Amino acid sequence: MSRRAVLGALAAGGVGFALFGPRGGRARYPGKIVLDYWEKWTQHEGAAMQRVVDAFNASQSRIHVRYIVTSAIGQKAMIAIAGGSPPDVIGLYAFDIPPYAESRAILPLDELAPRFGVTLERYKAGLRPIMTHDVSGSPERFWGIVNTAGTVAMYYRRDLLREIGRDPDQPPRTIAELDECHRLLTKVSSAGEIERVGFLHCEPGWWNWLWPASFGGRVYDPASRKATIDSPACLAAYQWMQSYPRALGARRVGEFFDRFRTSIFSPRNSFMAGQVAMHVQGPWMANMIGQFGPGTDYGVCPVPTVSGTDEASPVGLIDTDVLVIPRGARNPEASMEFIAFTQRPDMVKQLAQDHCKINPLIEPDEEFERTHRNRGIRVHNAIASSSGAFVAPPTRAWRQYRDAVDSSVQRMWRLESEAAVELPRLNQQAQGFIDRSVDEHRRRHGLALGAASGAGDRGRA
Amino acid sequence: MLSSRLSRALFRTLMVLAAAMFLLPLLWMLNTSTLSEQQAASGQVLVAPGGLGQTAARVAENYRRVWTDEAVNFPLYLRNTLIVAALSVVGMTLSSAVVAYGLARIEFKGRGAVFALVLATMMIPFPVIMAPLYLAFRELGWIGTLLPLWVPAWFGGAFNIFLLRQFYRTIPRELDEAARIDGLGHVGIFLRIILPLSKPALAVVALFHFIYVWNDFLGPLIFLTHRDQYTLALGLQMYQSQAGLTPWNLLMAASAMVIAPILILFMLTQRTFVQGAATEGLKE
Amino acid sequence: MSARRGIAGWVWVSPWLIGAAAFLFIPVILSLYYSFTDYPMLEPPLWAGVSNYARMLEDPTFWLVTKNTAIYVAVSVPLCTILALVLAAVMAGRSRFDRLLQAAVFIPTLVPLIAAAMLWLWMFNGELGLVNRALGLIGIDGPSWLTDRAWVMPALIIMSLWGVGQSVVIYIAALQDVPRQMYEAAKLDGMTAPRRFWHVTLPMLSPVILFNVITLTINAVQVFAIPFVMFRQVDGQNPAGYFYSMYLYDNAFQYGQMGYACAMAWVQLLVIVALTLVMFAASKRLVYYRAA
Repeated sequence: MSRRAVLGALAAGGVGFALFGPRGGRARYPGKIVLDYWEKWTQHEGAAMQRVVDAFNASQSRIHVRYIVTSAIGQKAMIAIAGGSPPDVIGLYAFDIPPYAESRAILPLDELAPRFGVTLERYKAGLRPIMTHDVSGSPERFWGIVNTAGTVAMYYRRDLLREIGRDPDQPPRTIAELDECHRLLTKVSSAGEIERVGFLHCEPGWWNWLWPASFGGRVYDPASRKATIDSPACLAAYQWMQSYPRALGARRVGEFFDRFRTSIFSPRNSFMAGQVAMHVQGPWMANMIGQFGPGTDYGVCPVPTVSGTDEASPVGLIDTDVLVIPRGARNPEASMEFIAFTQRPDMVKQLAQDHCKINPLIEPDEEFERTHRNRGIRVHNAIASSSGAFVAPPTRAWRQYRDAVDSSVQRMWRLESEAAVELPRLNQQAQGFIDRSVDEHRRRHGLALGAASGAGDRGRA
Repeated sequence: MLSSRLSRALFRTLMVLAAAMFLLPLLWMLNTSTLSEQQAASGQVLVAPGGLGQTAARVAENYRRVWTDEAVNFPLYLRNTLIVAALSVVGMTLSSAVVAYGLARIEFKGRGAVFALVLATMMIPFPVIMAPLYLAFRELGWIGTLLPLWVPAWFGGAFNIFLLRQFYRTIPRELDEAARIDGLGHVGIFLRIILPLSKPALAVVALFHFIYVWNDFLGPLIFLTHRDQYTLALGLQMYQSQAGLTPWNLLMAASAMVIAPILILFMLTQRTFVQGAATEGLKE
Repeated sequence: MSARRGIAGWVWVSPWLIGAAAFLFIPVILSLYYSFTDYPMLEPPLWAGVSNYARMLEDPTFWLVTKNTAIYVAVSVPLCTILALVLAAVMAGRSRFDRLLQAAVFIPTLVPLIAAAMLWLWMFNGELGLVNRALGLIGIDGPSWLTDRAWVMPALIIMSLWGVGQSVVIYIAALQDVPRQMYEAAKLDGMTAPRRFWHVTLPMLSPVILFNVITLTINAVQVFAIPFVMFRQVDGQNPAGYFYSMYLYDNAFQYGQMGYACAMAWVQLLVIVALTLVMFAASKRLVYYRAA
């Protein structure tokens, strides 16, 4: 019977907790417009954004914004918008703009944003293509506002370059120099185990479609809406990538990589542990170094290219976070008011400093760069204004295309497939995704999709 | 004789080892949740390092940090889970009992067909209906509420109906006849005779449905949009997926917190559990 | 009288009929309709003929997830069944000792899948996980279970074996129903224990085994939560840990292709029905039904 008593007590406790337990709810701010702002950031990045939100809440008395962390935000946002219960502001990724804009899951900002003083002209040139997207049959093209931005550059260990007799202020500028440094930096033990690699393409493996740019290639042509990852330049890029596992042994390099693949955010990060001397990363790398490997002697330079880095227009990928207002948001004006507040130069710069990212605004950068924790922030900032900058292909099919690139690159990296064979196959698959989305849009709206006349395509793929 | 006793001891040892293999991961999890972050990542197997006092302090610290995490509100998710569980367990048990009565005790044309249909629906995989169900709930305006997680339970579940029907059939028919002579109708028979006699089976249904709700992941993943409505399973996944930064000792503490209520329930109701699990294999 | 009784029956089963119609049959039919359309959640469905089905044939990812799922089902279901039978055979007693063993084997099945996934992420962790530490003790340099594509499937199958307790309990209950006289008779015939298991126990259990194998198969075909949590990392999906239901989910809620997702769901349903029928047919010869 005592067992039954315990069960009864448990049940009573459970029901009591269900009835009187903690509540979420928006009831705590009577008389105010309460806005839900979904964002992906947690920990120190989340805390930094929370400070911006707090500043906004303190700056006026009509609106209260709740900062809500949401994981897998792209899916969650889509499910919520389609389900008719969206939040008021969402922090998405840059590549989410085309699919969200084309299906009208987000509100156009062409009219709304300028009224609150947020205009495209305030942002660095390379970022504007991200904020705009041409959708056929709609005059609107302004969909999201860059919140924080990063550009991808190469991080190298200055101490290790010195070790092989190279001036750490003269990092490799051409692919040939990169190859040479890689060769000199790589160490294999007498037992045949890799101890250190000069350059590793798949660390961290977040931008597998990055390499064609270094060979003058692009993976997508927006004018003709063609996948171009089978072009000669792309082929050269991936053949170059394959030359690395070919020289080191695919199996060995795979084992080497697997050792720290899950340790990116830890002191065992391969770069800080000195096992990978050069790899690509965003400006937040300085934060990671500060947290997990303080004292790591790093340098930053643009990703080398075949013809050599051009200081005036370095080549580089721009990857950003964007703020959007979802369809069905209860009070778009209030949402926009909040977004506009976050775009005040002081707010933008503070957030960029806290996140260790670049300054997205056209502003004098000297002070920003002087106080920035990333000693290579100048390199990252320059890419955002460079004519060599590029962003994710502006197609709704990119998500699928990119996932397909990821699995193809894994195959090529393990030498299970030759680039000359893999790329045409991949291109055909990607073209299938693109054609399907274009065809569907045409059947639905009877119009050609975003004839590529827009000036917004400058700097785009 | 000695050798047979020896082989018997050996056999028993082997069995204990085999059973221990099943519990080892859970013990490992529990142990990890009592370590500090550095100890968990130290690459050594540590059990209560620094003595009981320090271990207790670390346990308190780890579980407090999980329970009060700013981004992942476990107390709220516990409450949500309990709400869904209470509503759907009650609904599931009641409605399955009613439907099973219809199938077990009332002769009517088409009964065989209905029963076959009940059995057949057990084959339908959730992914088949996941998308249209989402769209249907959207039409009802239920996306972003807890409704999709418990309202369907009030219409009974195929497996539970099957289970209860099998049980009802073991209750002697003569009892019905006697009750009918006393002037009871179906409602009376159901309430006064069948329900009291089928308590063990109802307990099995309630228990198993409670566990199902506690564990359900895909439903909340699709139907819940707002973080304030998350259930524990979803919250746990969210806790794990924050940028891979959460240390192992806290992850294991969070997992242990989600598992513990189920295990306690198991300890208290072991017999019902095992009977229930066994009936799952019942076939005519 | 009989007409009224007829109506009474329908009234009693009506809750389920209504619920099943609303939450099962109509969605299933709608799903069939959507499978012939292009349907990004945010816009209305648009008729697309059989293009979604045709597309599966040339979609390499579809074949990848189908292959992974097929291998998982084909390996994990038989292994689980064999292990469950063996464990059931040796633990079937009613003593306190046997009860404890049964409880130990059963407990893992209670662990919520998400918690189980996290637990095994930790167990299989390349350098800190218990599995590789244990292997290290006997001089084996354990693989990177979670990142090495060759080891993802074995890791998942080991996890499925950990959850074998439900089957064990079912088999034990069935074993306890086998009449003792049959064993006595077999013993008198001079059969050894393994032979008794093979010639007496298995035939007597065969209906339960069939039912259990079918249930395991239906569940294995749908495997979702564990690989969803374990193999979806910051840098994308590990292709070896990508399964049918996950790709289906991605198509519906990630790529905005509800139509394709529904087509995949229908193929899944048909495969499950076909597998069930095949197993029933094949079992006609193998399953022994006691005369009732």
